[in-house]
Amino acid sequence: MSQVQVNDMTLASNLYVRPTVDCRPEEIGEVGGKGVGLGSLLRAGQLVPASFVVTASAYRRYLSGGSGGMTSELATAISSAYADLCEQQGTVVPVAVRSSATLEDSVDASFAGQFKTFLGARGAEQVIAEVERCWLSALDPHVGAYQREQSDGTSACDVAVVVQELVDARSAGVMFTQHPHSGDRSIIVIEASFGLGESVVAGEVVPDLFEVNKVTRQIVRRAVGSKPHEYRLHEDGDRVERRPVEDARALERSITDEQVMALSVIAIELEKALGRGLDVEWAIGTVQGVASVDSLFTLQVRPITVAARRVDSPGGTQPLTATSSISGGNVAATPDKAIDAILGRLSRYAPGEETS
Amino acid sequence: MYPSYMLFGEELRERDEKKLWFFDQMHNPEPVYPFDVIMPESWLVSLNQYTTRVWNLPTALGIEQRIINGYLYLSPNVIDDPAMVAEREPIFQERARHYFENWDDIYNNWVNKATDCIERLKGMRFVELADREPADTVYHAKGITSTFELLTSYSRLLENMHEMAYYHFEMLNLAYGAYLTFLEFCRSQFPAITDDLVARMVAGIDVILYRPDAELRRLAARAVVLGVGDAFTQDRTPDDIIANLEATAAGKEWLSDLEQVKDPWFYYSTGAGYCHANRAWIDDMRPPFAALRDYVARVGRGEDLTRPIEHLQDERARIAEGYRALLDDEQLETFDSLLALSRQVFPFVENHNFYVEHWHHSMFFNKVRELGAVLVAGGMLEQDDDIFFLHRYEVYSVLYELQVNWSLGVGVPTRGETTWRTEVERRRGIYEGLQAWSAPPALGVPPAKVTEPITVTLFGINSETIDRWLTAEYGSDSDSALNGLAASPGVGEGRARVVQAFEELDDLIDGEVLVCPLTAPSWSIVFARIAGAVSDGGGIMSHAAIVSREYGLPAVVATGVGTKQIRNGDLIRVDGDAGIVTILERAGDSASTSIVGAEAGS
Repeated sequence: MSQVQVNDMTLASNLYVRPTVDCRPEEIGEVGGKGVGLGSLLRAGQLVPASFVVTASAYRRYLSGGSGGMTSELATAISSAYADLCEQQGTVVPVAVRSSATLEDSVDASFAGQFKTFLGARGAEQVIAEVERCWLSALDPHVGAYQREQSDGTSACDVAVVVQELVDARSAGVMFTQHPHSGDRSIIVIEASFGLGESVVAGEVVPDLFEVNKVTRQIVRRAVGSKPHEYRLHEDGDRVERRPVEDARALERSITDEQVMALSVIAIELEKALGRGLDVEWAIGTVQGVASVDSLFTLQVRPITVAARRVDSPGGTQPLTATSSISGGNVAATPDKAIDAILGRLSRYAPGEETS
Repeated sequence: MYPSYMLFGEELRERDEKKLWFFDQMHNPEPVYPFDVIMPESWLVSLNQYTTRVWNLPTALGIEQRIINGYLYLSPNVIDDPAMVAEREPIFQERARHYFENWDDIYNNWVNKATDCIERLKGMRFVELADREPADTVYHAKGITSTFELLTSYSRLLENMHEMAYYHFEMLNLAYGAYLTFLEFCRSQFPAITDDLVARMVAGIDVILYRPDAELRRLAARAVVLGVGDAFTQDRTPDDIIANLEATAAGKEWLSDLEQVKDPWFYYSTGAGYCHANRAWIDDMRPPFAALRDYVARVGRGEDLTRPIEHLQDERARIAEGYRALLDDEQLETFDSLLALSRQVFPFVENHNFYVEHWHHSMFFNKVRELGAVLVAGGMLEQDDDIFFLHRYEVYSVLYELQVNWSLGVGVPTRGETTWRTEVERRRGIYEGLQAWSAPPALGVPPAKVTEPITVTLFGINSETIDRWLTAEYGSDSDSALNGLAASPGVGEGRARVVQAFEELDDLIDGEVLVCPLTAPSWSIVFARIAGAVSDGGGIMSHAAIVSREYGLPAVVATGVGTKQIRNGDLIRVDGDAGIVTILERAGDSASTSIVGAEAGS
């Protein structure tokens, strides 16, 4: 897989539009969880499709404008950011337009999925229309109900919108940098399917499942799923379509061992840069113009929110901030501690056998 | 044939039927010969005394033994009474702490005790009775005669065996306990960690269990340097090769090197060390010479046969460092401390096996054979090995009877000179019948808990294994996947070679998968030629598992029924990461493939 350089925006930052690389954790109120995640990926040196973020200020401006609030000021900001993105890529690029809630990706924002994603918008007019649809969907009463239940009332949930070049994905999926159920930190879990990752995220297919031991760098589990359809960018480049996958291919692996290992390397790098317990969306494919060969892109990162933290560690999730090192230095072994532990263990029954 | 306390009886029927009895396939895959019962009997005493009376392990009582149709079955006992646990705990902690705190000194002294015990065994002699008492008795005015010495020597031989059994278990309970604590801690932090990875973090690099094979590799290189490598041809027996070597000066030099290596390194049993029928290299040099032939050829091709010690050390450090990096400071301290102590106690676990089961027990059985020869010369038995059809207390009777006969002088007819020979013949028939019986891996009712560290660590007995064994079907064709313990990582595929005994290894073809009741360390000389290993018995710390890891061979142990369900020539896959053996294709059935399991390979 060849590495291609996709420069981030050289966009001028303004109140309504923000270059993704500038989306830092402290700005979650303006750029939302997805914006922060993308910014973190860029700052961690990962290959990320070109993108920009329409801020929460733009959304508030839109709401304050009354009905039909897409002012020319807002439309210009969006279209000029999109024009810059296209210019940079040298073509009119198709994009994914996604809501980025300012509460989403925080502690337990299980309503995140209620926000909208539009795949395959192309041209300024369509991009502006779909940003607006994101704003409107945030006003959907269902989402509002979730917000009221989830938030403490003091911080209202606004919505930012991420506009990101769409990868023509051959395969895509999600990756957990530690086991999402057992909490095992040594295990990377990768779910993969054909086409864009939406089929995996939405649970529409049984994805291929891979587990990698971080310590030995070995694939310890391979379970090929059943993937009867895939989402692919139409050859016209202006829409995404759901296509059936032939029966035989549906049961084939969607990524190779080499790709599993390349993803694992990214998982390890990201944990080093951002801290433990991450949920990463990724895709393998091409982007318009710049990358004509398959590349491995990271599309999104957030702390694992639903890990049933079986392994004893401080509860909750860590904020997505850069950490310089993961663990402390060498701790001198104290034999007494071990002797106490062993004597204690041998004075008890085996784990799980305490009660008969 | 067997003492009453090792058989099921009406007195305890109701109680015994409610317990779980598991087949000790790992140490005694075959019916136990009456004399060889000394092995389980001696550990019944020493291991259990350490558990119950010496350490006062708070939650465990002794392991019971029963012989069913000749096969040895074991049943652990748990202490359920919280008051009894509480009462034992402080005594246990104080006593065990003393050993842990002084481990290195005690271990060094252990080596001295074990070596001394072996030296005394080596010095024992059993000489056939002469027609006339040796003249020394008169001129040294001994007072006692050679039959008195014969009987007292026999008592000393048994005492020596029992003494070594104590050393065997003096430190083993605690060493396994330390390892088990580390293993469980690792699992609590990393639920997916395999037993194999934990073992690789702890295992020693330079342990004497690998020395016999290392010596063969060295001897092979030496033979090439001395220019005598050509002597090791396929068609020659070890005796032929030795005769050939004796013809040249260089050959003689090599042979003198071999002689120095033989004691102790050829006291290396081809079995687990508990059955006299598994001969050691010292008795039958075909296995080491077959390996020498292979090694000489490889050295000739320019291969370096020395173990990659540095690589193994790096790997061990890399795994430990990898897991350390994933821990928080608090857990890291516990991890480091338990790992350090596990590494400290582990040389005992690894090395005791050579001292006890290989060096001592192989020599012990040979001393018993010497005594057998005395009985043959005295007309009591037909062949030296017939002594193994008698229980050790019956042997005392035979010896006494021999003494009675000898005392009467030449020519006086005695009763019963044929009694024992007839009895041996009867038992030989019984034994052959017992061999035909297929012993189930477990019988009875599973216990609520298993607590004794050796049961858990060495035998691999836990609720999961027990369930698997109790539900396993025998000889069923339908089951194409067998579950066992993942003992050594990697995935290997090949035709199965079901090997019940060491001698059958000759049939093995390169690239086959070895399927056996258990593998002994000495079998390692074929590991370079096979694609994987599957054993019916054995835990993660069993000899088979340790050596498989050392040789980078995928292995699944404790399948319970592998040798019964897998047939020669079946195409099987050994998944040493998942602990699953899959029968891909039955022998002579290449048209149909039955791949079981949702997991697909790459």
